[in-house]
Parts: sequence; structure tokens; C-alpha cells
Amino acid sequence: MRLAFILGEITSGLRRNLSMVVSVILVTFVSLTFVGAAGMLQLQISQLKGYWYDKVQVAIFLCGQGSTSAGCASGPVTPDQQKSIKALLESPAVAQYVNDYHFESQTEAYQHFKEQFANSPIVDSVTPDQLPASFRINLKDPEKYQIISETFSSRPGVETVIDQRQLLERLFTVMNQASVVAIVVAGVMIVCAILLIGTTIRLSAFSRRRETGIMRLVGASKLVIQLPFVLEGVISAVVGAVLASATLWAVAKFFLGDVLAKQYPDTAFISPAQVLILVPLLIGLSVVLAGVSSLVTLRRYLKV
Amino acid sequence: MIRFDNVTMVYDKKARPALDSISIEIERGEFAFLVGPSGSGKSTFLRLVLREDRATAGAVYVAGQNVARLSSWRVPRLRRGIGVVFQDFRLLPQKTVFANVAFAMQVIGKNRGVIRETVPEVLKTVGLEGMGHRMPHELSGGEQQRVAIARAVVNRPGILLADEPTGNLDPATSQGIMQLLDRINQNGTTVVMATHDDDIVNSMRKRVVELGSGTIVRDEAKALYTSMMPAVRPRRLGEPAAEERRERVPSPSGAGEEEI
Ligand SMILES: Nc1ncnc2c1ncn2[C@@H]1O[C@H](COP(=O)(O)OP(=O)(O)OP(=O)(O)O)[C@@H](O)[C@H]1O
Ligand SMILES: [Mg+2]
Repeated sequence: MRLAFILGEITSGLRRNLSMVVSVILVTFVSLTFVGAAGMLQLQISQLKGYWYDKVQVAIFLCGQGSTSAGCASGPVTPDQQKSIKALLESPAVAQYVNDYHFESQTEAYQHFKEQFANSPIVDSVTPDQLPASFRINLKDPEKYQIISETFSSRPGVETVIDQRQLLERLFTVMNQASVVAIVVAGVMIVCAILLIGTTIRLSAFSRRRETGIMRLVGASKLVIQLPFVLEGVISAVVGAVLASATLWAVAKFFLGDVLAKQYPDTAFISPAQVLILVPLLIGLSVVLAGVSSLVTLRRYLKV
Repeated sequence: MIRFDNVTMVYDKKARPALDSISIEIERGEFAFLVGPSGSGKSTFLRLVLREDRATAGAVYVAGQNVARLSSWRVPRLRRGIGVVFQDFRLLPQKTVFANVAFAMQVIGKNRGVIRETVPEVLKTVGLEGMGHRMPHELSGGEQQRVAIARAVVNRPGILLADEPTGNLDPATSQGIMQLLDRINQNGTTVVMATHDDDIVNSMRKRVVELGSGTIVRDEAKALYTSMMPAVRPRRLGEPAAEERRERVPSPSGAGEEEI
């Protein structure tokens, strides 16, 4: 009974304040889309980093079957060559710069590749023996990359030595800056959303002051009096969050998945399914911001 | 049922207190009129019983409970035991008579079956049988006040507070309303009614509590609107003369503006 009553109050409240409700929906929609965009950028960054990025700085790729560089003229790396590279890595001359290193076999390389490119069609056309094995090295001082490069580049069995950071660092800087901009815009929009929700609820409470006055007098509980207003704000904000989630999903599916992934087939993009992990976050955020702003407003404008 | 213990109510520190250290007890099942000039503190008295405000000093007991001590989530329970009627009826204009009365039950969670059964009964006791489908604007003032009374008593409160319930009604209609309140009182409900209507007070011969500038100047059983005691009562020490006192009374505020 009480539930039916509260639901009735909510629908009539939403109908009475339709234009305000629509603006609350739009403002939360836009602000949460920006929050979500920042989230997507971060997801994309970690996708691009792949398995090794945060663990090591330098990769020594060993010659494989398909290697074409000059150092690999004698064919794939032999176990002896591999052993001598490993020995060199452990020799005091090199070890003083090295924190830690890992050997990534072709099978492991294939595993990591599959994870990173899970969303790209390219994954189906690659086999383990096409991917080179490598030593992944974590340096004590990342700036000492040159020393490693000079020591190993011309070793037999080494295809190339790569400083991973140099490749991606600049891109990540740009993406992180874009995230910051998105968060700042989102912050401003969230402030708008909070104020607007507050105003909407204030108007709503004002237009129903006769009802709430009588509810107070006949002894309705605080919950019954306030809940319709709070839910009115929360429902509008959640609708905004759902719209924002749908937008982000569509961007991942149609822009990243259909457009960008075709243009850059060797880049790992996030999948629409990964974007869905942002949905609970956005909905939770919308509930919190609507709930808090409506409770604060009601405390001031709806005496119980 | 209602007890005031040295209650002082100060709204505005610069003005005189709206109630000045008053003590009074109203027994269960009693019918009491609260009379006195505008601004003498009648509405304030009722607001304190309802805990719309808390007394500045002293204690207000309702059914044995000090209302100032109630935590805010218990206040609704206090108010469920008190029905209230105002001069301006305060009906919801978009709801039918039935829905107006049912509203008081809905918001405290009564189930639909009980509501469908109780509301017509109560409408019958207030003399509005079969008028449940009407809208408030289709009713006379007296009928609207009956709806308001029905709403106030539908949850069977032990106390009914009425703040000038006949203020907007003609004498004949007022008499009808008084009969209704009397009947409700005879069924065991304690009734406290603030009024300016001397004819009504005189015809009922109930207890009369007269307030003046926030103090109780008279408390008589089976009394009339004006005192049967000597018209010029000896002045108390430090009290201004009657004429002076009337001049200092501020112009009526609140109730008058809320009339429809
Ligand atoms: N909310 C308030 N804020 C400040 N002062 C108030 C408030 N309510 C009442 N007062 C003051 O308290 C005094 C008593 O007011 P109250 O409404 O109790 O009088 P009353 O006896 O009901 O008058 P009336 O017969 O005109 O209704 C008045 O001086 C009034 O101005
Ligand atoms: Mg009054």
C-alpha cells in the first residue's frame, strides 16, 4: 500500500516537473558521458600497454623464422646463442644496470598477444612461431637504455633491442591529458547536475507543499514524505547514467570497433564489453550525486 | 492528556514571549476552549502540543510523554495520536472528498481494504454520507470543514486540536460543526479548540481557558466567553492596565493570511 502510494507520488511528481526532469536527465547524461570517456581512455591505455609495459622498459627480440633484419641472416636463434645472451645479461658488466629480467618464449608471446588483441581480427591470422621470443628487462635506471642497446644489438641471434617507453610514452601523455580534460569538464557538469537536481527537488517540494504539510500533520513518517522527492531525483539521474552508458558502448562498438580497428589493424582496441564495466560505476555515481543533493535540499526546504 | 509545565515560548528575542511560563492540565476526554485576543498565544499553544515547535523553557507532556524529548523519528507517532483542524480547512483541491480523507490513512500505510471500509463510515459520522465523489470546490464551507474533521479523526486520534474551526463559517453552520465536535468528544476524544466565537463558547458551556499576552488569565469550568468574575479584576503587580495591554497586542498574523 505504502509502496503503491509512493510510486503514485513519484509518477505525479515526474509528470508535474517534466521540463526540469528532462534537464536533469540531460545534464547527468552529459556529465557522466565525460566521466565515462575518461574511464574509456584509461581502459584503452592499459589495453595498449599490453602485458609487459608496466613491468619492463627494454625488450631484446630474438631472431625468429620470419625475421628479416641483418642480424638474423643466419636464421632463427639457436639455443647456444640464447644461452650466451642470457649469460651476458647475468654478467656483472650488464647485471649492475638490471633490476630484473624475464624470458618470454614464443608460446608465452602468443598468449600475451592473444590477450591484448582479443578484440582484433588480426589474432586469428597469427601463429606462435611468427612471434619472436624475447628477453624483457627491467632497468634500475630507465635512462640507461643506450647501454643495453649497444651491448646486445649486434649479438648473433638478436633481431632488435627496443625501448618500449619511447614508442608509446608520447601517445599515453596525450591520452592522459585528454582524460584530465574530460574529468575537469565532467566535474563542472557534475556541479551543474547537483545544483539542478537540488533546484528541481526544491520546486517539486514547493508545488507539493500542501500535501506534505498534511502528511506531516497526520503523522506520515519522514521516509514516506521524503522518499518520493529523493527517488524523483535519483530516477532522473539514473536515466541520464543509462543514456551515458549507451553512448559509450556505441562509441566502443561503432567507432572503435568498426571504424578505427579497420584503419589500424595492428592496434589493440578495447571492446564494447569492456566498456560495460564502467556502467555500474556511472549508475552508482548518478545515484550518489542525486541522493546526496536531494537529501541536502530536503533538509533545508522540507521540514518534517 | 495534555500538560504544560511552566512553558515559555519565545519566537523573537526582542518581542515579548508568545507564551510566558504557563502551566495547565487538560484531562483525557475533556473539551476545552482556548480564548483570548489575537496574538495571545492560542495557536502557539496548539503548535507546541503538535511539536511543530519546541518550547523555549518548560515541558509539554502529551499522553505522559515530554514531547521535546521525542527524537525526530518518533514525532510522526505522536502526531498520529492527534487530529488537527484549521480555519482554512486545508483540503487538497485536486482530490475528491473520499481521497482527501483516505490520504490521511494512505500516508501512514493503512491497507486499501481498511481504507475503503473506514472512509465512508467516517464521512457518515460527519454528515457527508454519499458525498465522497465530490471535489472540495463543489462543497460549502461548512461541508469542507466536515471533510477536514473527517480527515482529522479517521485514524482515531485521542486528541483533536481545532484552531478557529468556525472562523470562516456563518453562525448556523458553526453550530452544526460544534455539534459534530461535541459528538466526537463524547466518544472519548479530548478536544481543544481555539476560538474567537463568543456565541459558540457561550452555548457550549465547557471549560474555558483564556489567554492574554501569553499568560493564562482565566481557567473556568462550564464557563462563558467573557468572565463571570468581576469585570475589573484587581491588577497584578507589574501588570499593565487592560486598555494598555490591548494596545500592545500586535496585529494578527499567520491565520488571517492563510484564509482562502
Ligand atoms: N512563527 C512565528 N514567528 C515569530 N513570531 C510568531 C510566530 N508565530 C506566532 N508568533 C507571535 O507569537 C504571538 C502569539 O501568536 P499566536 O499565533 O499564538 O496567537 P493567536 O492567539 O493564535 O492569535 P490569533 O487569534 O490571531 O490566531 C504573536 O505575537 C505572534 O506574532
Ligand atoms: Mg491563531
